[in-house]
Amino acid sequence: MTRQLVGHCHCGAINVVLETAKTAAELPLRACQCSYCRTRGALTTSDPAGHLHLQSAPGAVTRYRFGLQVTDFILCAECGTYVAALSEIDGALMGLVNARGAQLGGFDEREPDPMIYDDESPDERLARRAHRWMPATLVEVYPNA
Amino acid sequence: MSAEPFTWRSGGCHCGGVRFEVALPQEVEAQSCNCSMCAKTGFIHIIVPESRFRITRGAERLAEYTFNTRVAKHLFCSECGIKGFYRPRSNPDGWSVNARCLDSLEGVTLNVEAFDGQNWERHAHELSHLSREPA
Repeated sequence: MTRQLVGHCHCGAINVVLETAKTAAELPLRACQCSYCRTRGALTTSDPAGHLHLQSAPGAVTRYRFGLQVTDFILCAECGTYVAALSEIDGALMGLVNARGAQLGGFDEREPDPMIYDDESPDERLARRAHRWMPATLVEVYPNA
Repeated sequence: MSAEPFTWRSGGCHCGGVRFEVALPQEVEAQSCNCSMCAKTGFIHIIVPESRFRITRGAERLAEYTFNTRVAKHLFCSECGIKGFYRPRSNPDGWSVNARCLDSLEGVTLNVEAFDGQNWERHAHELSHLSREPA
């Protein structure tokens, strides 16, 4: 059965739907130890067999890149929340959710797995994400359209 | 009582556009809050009086977000989204600095306590002394 885990940034300008056959308890919860994720206390999840739908109000997305420049951190321009990260891999858009930023239900009280990816080359990073992250889409939605 | 010795410590956002300094004692009382805003940002609060905080770079890059009573001024870098400090509703006369955004915690003992921001009205008074300027 496919279910939808839903969340949003604080002001609601970016909505997140994680489509998955798994329950939140069956999904991983990772605490990446990079300089950005530690500052955010990011707790991320993804289901390679699922799909990540991001919907934003017009102009509500700020993209931030650093380091290897292969990742777009998707931030709300209005409230600053870090909701998701996207990476284009072999022409496909892959992503993960910051369960903390989007406040996805079912992850409270979970102890995350600390992850250290500092030594990866750009190719190794994208290869890992190709099978660990999930297909994703980001669309702008006009309210009341 | 003699004045507690403070050391000015630096911090900033992720992209380096916004920098700040905060004067901290060796042992720091900090709060981890469970309100809707803090839960999303992972903010660890170090609340200080006005005189113990200064923005040293990038004030013009700060974006401001308010909600509900709009007393708290949630500030974040418009480039990288990081919230290194803000004007908290509990202490609008002072600042709350994000412990995660300090360059180093070396020599600082950080005692992080849970703050029940989901029941803010009942608990906010417990924090009001933190932004009081010394007499």
